[in-house]
Amino acid sequence: MSTKVRRVYGYLAEFSNASQLYKAAEKVRDAGFKKWDCYSPYPIHGLDDAMGLKRSILPYFVFFGGLTGFFTAIALAYTTQVGLYPTIVQGKPANIFTIPAFFPVMFELTILFSGFTVLFGLLALMGLPRWNHPIFASKQFARVTDDKFFIAIEARDAKFSAEGTKSLLDEIGGANIELVEDDSE
Amino acid sequence: MAHQVTSKDIPVNGEHLDGSKLARVQTITGGIAAIGGLVSILFLIFGNGTVHGSYAFSWLFALFFVLTMTFGGCFWTFLHNLSNSGWGTSVRRMMENLGFVFPFLFVFAIPFLFPGVQKYLWEWMSSYDTAVKARPNLGSSEALLRSDNAHDHLLAAKTFYLNPTFWYFRFIGFFLLLGFFIWLVRKFSIAQDTEKKPSTDNLFAARKHSSWAMIVFGVSMTFLALDWVMALDYSWFSTMFGVYVFAGSALSSMAVLILTGIFLQKYGYLKNVVTREHYHIMGKLCFAFTVFWAYVSFSQFFLIWYANITEETRYFLLRNTENWNLVSLSLVFMHFAVPFLALLRSDVKKNQKFMIGFCCYILFMHAVDVYHMIIPERGPSVGLVVDHKAQLWIGASWIGDILAFIIVGSGFIFLYLRNLTSAALYPHRDPRILESANLHN
Repeated sequence: MSTKVRRVYGYLAEFSNASQLYKAAEKVRDAGFKKWDCYSPYPIHGLDDAMGLKRSILPYFVFFGGLTGFFTAIALAYTTQVGLYPTIVQGKPANIFTIPAFFPVMFELTILFSGFTVLFGLLALMGLPRWNHPIFASKQFARVTDDKFFIAIEARDAKFSAEGTKSLLDEIGGANIELVEDDSE
Repeated sequence: MAHQVTSKDIPVNGEHLDGSKLARVQTITGGIAAIGGLVSILFLIFGNGTVHGSYAFSWLFALFFVLTMTFGGCFWTFLHNLSNSGWGTSVRRMMENLGFVFPFLFVFAIPFLFPGVQKYLWEWMSSYDTAVKARPNLGSSEALLRSDNAHDHLLAAKTFYLNPTFWYFRFIGFFLLLGFFIWLVRKFSIAQDTEKKPSTDNLFAARKHSSWAMIVFGVSMTFLALDWVMALDYSWFSTMFGVYVFAGSALSSMAVLILTGIFLQKYGYLKNVVTREHYHIMGKLCFAFTVFWAYVSFSQFFLIWYANITEETRYFLLRNTENWNLVSLSLVFMHFAVPFLALLRSDVKKNQKFMIGFCCYILFMHAVDVYHMIIPERGPSVGLVVDHKAQLWIGASWIGDILAFIIVGSGFIFLYLRNLTSAALYPHRDPRILESANLHN
């Protein structure tokens, strides 16, 4: 047995079906917790409402990402095709009226930059990639990929207390309540 | 979470639109459509001269605008059945009612069957007749090839499709076939409401027959657009044209559906089964088809602009001459950029007050789109037929456009309301009605 002092990650409680998880999530939300999460083998419709999750700010990033792509494309196509190296094709002008020819580039770069913003913005907001997550210290948590549903309330939450949180999880029907400790140094 | 809708919230006999509340609207719109329609049709059949030719184009514009919305109604109905969608069960009846306006519009299309109107709209018919009558012992292609009019040579290669007999045959075929299928699918849906022994037989039958219906829809819509609109200039061709018309149809009909839903709820109907979530989905579809419309219409322009082939560019040359250029440009910004940016946010799509105004705006822009397809051909055609001199614009012809728009539009509202009052407002016996009412997306 190691005698190292370990940081407490939080409480983990097991639920046996989606409906239990859903109802429990509503109660945890109403108790005012902020730093907690639900874990389920599959997506559950409406769980974000039950958890009281706010809408992500990602769409705003994506909008400006797309806008950046749009203007990058205009600048790229215009400087190369009009400024640096005008290409006369089929007697088309090489000025701003060539803009229909730039549309595919504008479209593609808008999509590309939006796509990149989605991917990297999402990873950044979720704090990914990471090597490990403290919750993996729990043995029973492996079943989340199979047939069990979990709620974990983090110790970082202002409302967290060793006794109170445990009894709350107990009250809302959680089984196998476990204090998860961070084993990753 | 809102209150969970259960079968107790669904009236046993369904919700029915109270006809007496609408009596005045129906009398007014029906009256305008009946009197205006009769006068217009008689004028179109027996009239002559510039005003007559000009009004033929106005009539085509107004009718085609309304037709596209009903096409969209047919499309959404068939798609909904085919894909076995649960979300829209509570708005499906509105789609069926919108689509079922289509067969009745035949009444407004009658003038197009008369040569007096055809000579302005579809010049190929006159050319064909003249050439064939001049050389009665030759086949039509051969006769057109030897015609004195050099332009007829372009028509010679198209006679397998552009010949009057086949044209009339198609004209009737579109209305008969698509009319039959939308009637059939709607009939199944309504029959389910009042079955003595509730079952899902009608639901499955509707799904099964929607499969043929979808093909009939695609073919009818595409070739009706080709026959009526693309053939305004027989020398022009675009393989994108059917898709282009379809994109506008799906968009405008979705706007009509949202408007109908909001107004019905305002007067106390559909309260239990249609929620913000439905408006969200329908708003998303509006958004999607705004983008799709832009994609298709730009592709059509782009390929023609790039290739720069004489027969193809005529369409866009005409539409970028003088003031028509402003209309073309306004489509880019007002039909695409503005709706695209406006519909990006999800809360906007759920905001009913905003959507009322916005759907009217979409319908207005769709009317501009249809105007832009049809009306630029008017000056050249009517000018040539009447004065043997092509013009860009015929003075004061916009009065006819507005008049025709009001008359055919009234007819559309009358028929749509008639359909809405003739059956329950939503399929209350559809097994998925609760799924739809408790929709979450």
